[in-house]
Amino acid sequence: MTDQAQEIAQLDRVIHEPARLTIMLILDGVSEADFLYLQREGGFTQGNLSGHLTKLEDAGYVEIEKKFKGKVPLTLCRLTGEGKAAFAGYSQRMMGVLKGNGSAG
Amino acid sequence: MTQQTISYGRRAATYWFVDGLPELLFGLMLIVFGGLAILWRVDGPEYWRRFDFAIFFAGIILYGSLERRVLDFLKLRFTYPRTGYVQPPEEEEWRGETMTTLPLRHRPPVRENVTSFHLRTELPIVFVAFLWSSDWQSGWSEIGRWYAPLATLALAMALYALNRKSEHPYRWWSALILALAGLVFLWVDVPGPFRHPLPLLLAGAWLSAQGAYTLVHYLRTNPLPRTAEGVRA
Repeated sequence: MTDQAQEIAQLDRVIHEPARLTIMLILDGVSEADFLYLQREGGFTQGNLSGHLTKLEDAGYVEIEKKFKGKVPLTLCRLTGEGKAAFAGYSQRMMGVLKGNGSAG
Repeated sequence: MTQQTISYGRRAATYWFVDGLPELLFGLMLIVFGGLAILWRVDGPEYWRRFDFAIFFAGIILYGSLERRVLDFLKLRFTYPRTGYVQPPEEEEWRGETMTTLPLRHRPPVRENVTSFHLRTELPIVFVAFLWSSDWQSGWSEIGRWYAPLATLALAMALYALNRKSEHPYRWWSALILALAGLVFLWVDVPGPFRHPLPLLLAGAWLSAQGAYTLVHYLRTNPLPRTAEGVRA
């Protein structure tokens, strides 16, 4: 097994799935976002997003808070400290793999 | 394709302007309080008329204290139920962050958040309002009817240049319209004391027209979801 293959095998699989990677990317760039915003930005269906958010929440990467702003119900999602660290680690590892292959600038 | 190269953080910052409400509200404030100041100059008590600019500044202070609350109130009713809510990262939060060179990590934009509207749009307009105060009036009155065209031109250039690389740039032809609008007052003679609010009124009309257009377009292209499911997980 090459070093690169080992690195790839060690990638965080919770984040590595494209839909969850998109969610992590969006949440990494903002303080918090609600369900509808995530759905529109990522092009998810409601059920799809709900399922992926649950997985990220179970992994401790995302915290979800349901609250009312005025009379409007919002489902707010944000990265936890653990989620930020995991995403930074994932990015670093992925970059290492891509750089090793001469694929990243 | 341009959209794909914009980071999610910057998109979130741009999202603040998606409904046109910040511009519409600020533009209307300029028109209302600029208009009130002119009325004061016409009908106010003789001695106090010279303090017409104070009416405008009182409006700015009132607006500054209520702006975020009013915008939140309006966005809760018009924007968040349609296209969702997002809070871009606060500027302070990212100042101390170590630079990272990993392309996968879309670094949130420094300065490109909701506060930049204050710095890049509202502040230059408030600066022009300072020229209105009585201490300056004597100096500016020497340029006579050139005051409004020149101040409006300067304002248009400043707004275009300052916002050029922001999350909410103004198009060059839009800034040109504002600049040209000021030129009208080279031919339309306005009595001295009334010249000073003109650039502010023009800027107010310019901003609120853009905000109203954006709002109408936004409401038409983003109808409310049929059920409340759109805002619930």
